Amino acid sequence: MAVGCDVPLVIRGRVIDTPTAAFGGRGDGMVFHACDVAEHLDELALSAPSAMADLYTLSFDDILDFLHRLGERLQLADNAYLQEAFRVSCLTSGLSESILRHHYKEIPFYFHRDVVAGMAEGLVGIDFLEGWVERPSGSPGVSVAVRAFGARCVHVIAGNVPAIGVMTIVRNAFTRSDAIIKSPSNDPLTALAVARTMIDMAPDHPLTRHLSVAYWKGGDDRVESYLYDPMRIEKLVAWGGLASIRHITRYLQPGIDLITLDPKHSATIIGREAFADEATLAAVAVRLAVDIGMMNQEACMNARVVYVESGTDAAGLARINRLGEMTYRALRALPEHVSTPHKRFHPELRDELDALQFVEDEYRLIGGGDDGGAIIVSQHDMPVDFSAMLACRVGNLVPLDNAEQAVRYVNAYTQTIGIWPDTLKRKLRNALAWQGTQRLVSLGGTYVLGSPATPQDGIEPVRRMCKWIVDETGEALDKISGLPSVEAVARG
Amino acid sequence: MTEIFSLLRESPQALYGMRFHQGFELSVAQLQEIHLTGARRRFDTLRTSIRALDKLAAEQGISRIDTLDDLVPLLFKHTVYKSYPISFLERGRFDALTRWLDGLTTLDLSGVDTAGVQTIDDWIDCLDTQTELRIAHSSGTSGKLSVIPRTREHWFNQVRLTAGCVRDWHGPDSGPDLFSTPMPFIRLSERYGASVQHRSANALVEMIAGSEDNTLFLFPTERYSADMASLGGRLRAAAARGEQGRLELSPVLMARREEFARRNAQRPKAMERFFADARERFGGRDVLIQAIWVNLLEPAEEARKQGLKGLFGPRSALLTGGGLKGQTAAPDWRERITEFLGTDNYYEFYGMTEMLSNAPACRQGNYHVSPVTVPFLIDGESGEVLPRNGTQSGRFAFFDLLPESYWGGFVTGDLVTMGGWDDVCPCGRVGPYVHADIRRFSDIEGGDDKIDCAGAPEAHDRAMEYLVNSSGGH
Repeated sequence: MAVGCDVPLVIRGRVIDTPTAAFGGRGDGMVFHACDVAEHLDELALSAPSAMADLYTLSFDDILDFLHRLGERLQLADNAYLQEAFRVSCLTSGLSESILRHHYKEIPFYFHRDVVAGMAEGLVGIDFLEGWVERPSGSPGVSVAVRAFGARCVHVIAGNVPAIGVMTIVRNAFTRSDAIIKSPSNDPLTALAVARTMIDMAPDHPLTRHLSVAYWKGGDDRVESYLYDPMRIEKLVAWGGLASIRHITRYLQPGIDLITLDPKHSATIIGREAFADEATLAAVAVRLAVDIGMMNQEACMNARVVYVESGTDAAGLARINRLGEMTYRALRALPEHVSTPHKRFHPELRDELDALQFVEDEYRLIGGGDDGGAIIVSQHDMPVDFSAMLACRVGNLVPLDNAEQAVRYVNAYTQTIGIWPDTLKRKLRNALAWQGTQRLVSLGGTYVLGSPATPQDGIEPVRRMCKWIVDETGEALDKISGLPSVEAVARG
Repeated sequence: MTEIFSLLRESPQALYGMRFHQGFELSVAQLQEIHLTGARRRFDTLRTSIRALDKLAAEQGISRIDTLDDLVPLLFKHTVYKSYPISFLERGRFDALTRWLDGLTTLDLSGVDTAGVQTIDDWIDCLDTQTELRIAHSSGTSGKLSVIPRTREHWFNQVRLTAGCVRDWHGPDSGPDLFSTPMPFIRLSERYGASVQHRSANALVEMIAGSEDNTLFLFPTERYSADMASLGGRLRAAAARGEQGRLELSPVLMARREEFARRNAQRPKAMERFFADARERFGGRDVLIQAIWVNLLEPAEEARKQGLKGLFGPRSALLTGGGLKGQTAAPDWRERITEFLGTDNYYEFYGMTEMLSNAPACRQGNYHVSPVTVPFLIDGESGEVLPRNGTQSGRFAFFDLLPESYWGGFVTGDLVTMGGWDDVCPCGRVGPYVHADIRRFSDIEGGDDKIDCAGAPEAHDRAMEYLVNSSGGH
């Protein structure tokens, strides 16, 4: 039975609420009604760059104040727009209600002035955002100044976690950029809720006037051929890899800077020290369970394939099987704001798990009898063939004789590697880095140790979102030999 | 009539010797009795001699079949016949692969000697030489090859069913009797191979064409390689294991890839030769052609360009099926094909690697389920069995009563609509039928514009996929 919901359009401080076209994820029974963006293209695009000027009447403190006040209005308990976004996410998201509630309640955190200031400083440098910063010119008598300016940007965001839209809005604000957020069909309301709150709070504020949130079907030529034009936008931030840019690669041209944040998977490496004694093993198991289970394994950073330096002989298998049992127990005991059984266990994954019983000499399945998750322990040094499909709290432990072997298993799609112990992480981090990984973290910390002020996916997307402008000053006449003398030119 | 009913109830394999059209004159009640009796007998016999079935039954707590729906938890998911680890192939563990297969068949494979086997093709040859098995593998476009443990006899029996269909489908003796006169056999593919289509082609050559001279193949001396078919899946699995994965890919396999690419480059020339041979040796004659629709699109276009029409005689028969598989084609694509072939006498089947008795389509476009196939529809959301009445849509699953050496129960990936339990198809045939519009669940799941940041983009060996898909190997 389809549940319906309206998705208005927000364009630069104006809410347009005349939904016409239906769209929706067929799997989750939601039907959304959105406005036809094609009817509002003139307003949506910021064709006149001079319209960016109002952002520069704001000081950085003004920006912090605005965001801080906005954050105070984004308490889930008091904000009807967020409540609706939350309600709909409970239907469309793979995250269960208890986890979503936790994430929606965390939204105000991203707007706190200290947090924003930390992000701006860590990701760009406040000095560069606020003014022209002297840089060494390398040349006597020449001074160089650099400043980071905001850009006109379309953001094609991912919808599997609510924080993505929120972060995009905050980053857009402190970089003094203009954002058109294209909503994904798996979360069309969260970014919209923040935008509408901004309008209620301060409809004419420059920061409100430089945010639009819209849904249109990817591939809709009427919208995309108009919008993806260097006259109208300068940057395109696309989450979701090929799925989000498939339709638009033909519009890419010099003048549009494409920043892709591709889907990723993550891996885990556990050293032999885990097996020192029962207490250590149990502690490792809990950390591992957290990295597998948090956010119901919906995030790119979750653990899925876990390489364990247990040894591959009979004794080694006994060790890793024991770790598997403990991890499963810890997984089932995780608190509900962190992790719960998945609401919609993936049917293809279920089919794969069901087939494991026919190869039980090769893979031991712990759990898996219900939809609450499972730990598969490979009985040889290879992950399951369907490792790319691991989700819904299913992890795969793989025995190795040597942790270093795991390094070569990393590929360009490996984002986060959770490692235990920290000494092993230090030892392997350089090799892992050139092998392809983008983030190393102590086991258990893939979520809680994450900082919003660090590079993401191996790049610095917020620096990329800015335009870095150079101003050079000096006496040119001193630098070029053989020029006519000024007197000679003046005399004629 | 009652005679046919008792014969089939006693032994579903009596279908092999029957008048094909009579299977569609039984009442639904009679069919259900044939189904229940047959299923019970199969379960009771096979449970103790197929390890995989015994395991599943124990796990599900099922020790007897009282009603047809009792079968449902015992139907194998598509993953069962491909549950072997790919590492068996990469590491040459063909002994372990044989042991895995042993658990899925009544045949005893414990004596099979796999010494020297380096590739899947070698392994298939090894089984062909040392046992009664003539396994069929899937095309591998989904990544991993399934292996179905059919026997030599299955293929010949299937030909008897096919011949019966061609002869009696539009009424008794309405079509040619393929057994009475050897008919030339035409196929746009390699002559050899172990996919379902290649295995059945081999049986058709022996039983219908009668000799190699009476055949025409696109690549008459070549084999459709299981290693090539498996390559896409193996490359993906390797990519998931980074540099190490790439290192462990079998060099023999990679050498074969080059060979395969070379063969494919010769395709246009082979096609030219094929047309010339077809005209010269079999032009205007009644022939038997086996090809799924998509493999005829390109030749039809070629023929059009050359102004070629009516290549073969009007009483030729085309064994086909499979729809367009997502490809785009001109709206009159079927007409273009029949025009170039010279016959519109086609027999279109709904079937799959796992099904012995495929379902032929009537002139309404409905596929009539064989009387010895027990159909089930499973609700896509809840997993519950849908009632056998009215018109229902859901996931197609079935129990095939014919095989006695492997378990005939399968759940497919197809979303279908069925009728025929309490209505009769306008064509007049009685019994359950599947509507023409068949879709894959995998194409439907996931809404528009769902963007996630978690995922592993699949390593696409685009060249390989193109080669495998266009090889005519299906």
